[in-house]
Amino acid sequence: MNLLVQDAGPLTTVQDLGRMGQLRVGLPRSGPMDREAFVLANRLVGNDDNSAGLECTLMGPRLEFADARWVAVTGAEAFVALDGEEMPRWESFRVPAGGVLRIGAARTGVRAYLAIAGGITTPPVLGSRATYLRGGLGGLHGRALRKNDTLPLGPAPAGGTARRLRAEMVPTHGDEPRIDTILGPQDDRFIAAGIAALFGGPYEMLPQSDRMGARFKGARIEHTRGHDIISDGIALGAIQVIGDGQPIVLLVDRQTAGGYTKIGAVCSYEIGRVGQLKPGQRLRFRQVTVAAAHAELAARRAVLETAIA
Amino acid sequence: MIYPQPRFLPCGDLAVSVELADEISLEANARVLALEYLIRQRRVAGITETLPTYRALLVYYEPAEIGFDALTATLRALAAEARPEVLPPARHVELPCCYGGELGFELEAAATKLGLAPDELARLHAGADYHVYFVGFTPGLPYMTGMPERLNIPRLVNPRTKTPAGSVSIGGIQCCIYSVESPGGFWVLGRTPARLYDPAAAEPSLLRAGDTVRFRPIERAEFDAIAAEVAGGRWRPQVTA
Repeated sequence: MNLLVQDAGPLTTVQDLGRMGQLRVGLPRSGPMDREAFVLANRLVGNDDNSAGLECTLMGPRLEFADARWVAVTGAEAFVALDGEEMPRWESFRVPAGGVLRIGAARTGVRAYLAIAGGITTPPVLGSRATYLRGGLGGLHGRALRKNDTLPLGPAPAGGTARRLRAEMVPTHGDEPRIDTILGPQDDRFIAAGIAALFGGPYEMLPQSDRMGARFKGARIEHTRGHDIISDGIALGAIQVIGDGQPIVLLVDRQTAGGYTKIGAVCSYEIGRVGQLKPGQRLRFRQVTVAAAHAELAARRAVLETAIA
Repeated sequence: MIYPQPRFLPCGDLAVSVELADEISLEANARVLALEYLIRQRRVAGITETLPTYRALLVYYEPAEIGFDALTATLRALAAEARPEVLPPARHVELPCCYGGELGFELEAAATKLGLAPDELARLHAGADYHVYFVGFTPGLPYMTGMPERLNIPRLVNPRTKTPAGSVSIGGIQCCIYSVESPGGFWVLGRTPARLYDPAAAEPSLLRAGDTVRFRPIERAEFDAIAAEVAGGRWRPQVTA
């Protein structure tokens, strides 16, 4: 059974948790920008965490269902409608055969996620269904969805129940988040005042931001001696600072290697917050140690396990 | 210089850069690749993925399985064993390359800049063995050196916005082959019909870190013939161990 795309929205892609083991050939992991919201959507409909769903950017799609399915929409705060009637977010509900689901414009946040019981079953490429647009692979023919596409779905599991996220777990996206950040690998290439500037903040997100990287504008982060390094690997969340002294946070579709200084890296569990920032919105980088970050990561994972009522 | 002890540089909460040297050299890179090889061989629990570059190995890990201190202790021990001799023999890959003309559209300008005749530049470039330090930036793109010192050339002042896939190019002491159409600041001397990156292949990158590459000069007619074979999925470059 499948899903007909009546209207795609500006940038809607198929994603699962991403492609592992291919960094060494230059392929980033891809996957959802807001991993937590994506995983929760899957759990709400009873899918495995890695089942493929849709990432909708700013404005969602309109989809016609061939058969009845449990679905859930999470992430950005967007209007969700089933056959014209408003439906809840962060909560699973059943779409009848022939039903039309619409995800509207994001009021706060940027990326909404749709999980469908049974998952989207486009052919995996190198072990993953995640779309990597710049490399033209994964998802549906390596590209964003278009009007009149059809998406194959896995067998609908029998039964299914309504599940919802505990109310206090629903994130808000409109504020000025503090983002846990670890110094390194090239923090020794910045003067003390440069590092102080980074953690002094705030930094405002620029419109030239995408799944590859988010650009920010704020206090200048001063180098000791130039911004070129011997090219090395770029980890998820790396904060690259080039000649203009402004930070770029490198994200799920980033280039795998590069020759510019990276003052620090945003922690893995904060990437989703960065992915939900709108251009013009601001954040502050907050310095944490590796040990503190690992404790926080463990705590957030534990909370995630109890998130669904 | 190769450091007496590796430097462990945090890269967020899930990765650490193991930096082995402060230089681009065959020795430093061989140690990086040897460290990666040992990690794969020993299947170190908690290490999820590795990414080699010139003189550093980016190691991804799962902190619930291995803490930062245990990880760095393990990596320090492996780095002490990571000598070039542990690596399996390098592969040699021969890539056809059509120099000059519309495919090698900067051969003449680069030759003028270097004070060489275009034919001489092509001959010198094709006469060298290139070492692939690592693959990345864009999928399948090899970072290589091996050119004669005579071909050291400053990068383009005004980078191109589009460089065709397969463009064989030089900048500084590096040689690069653009794997997908992308912006570029290197001088394009020629083009190979080989596909450096094929997302449909089981191994999407033609080249691997540690490979040796040699270019075989071909004429335009042979380029077109091979390109047609490549398009039909019937051509693979010559690879020897």
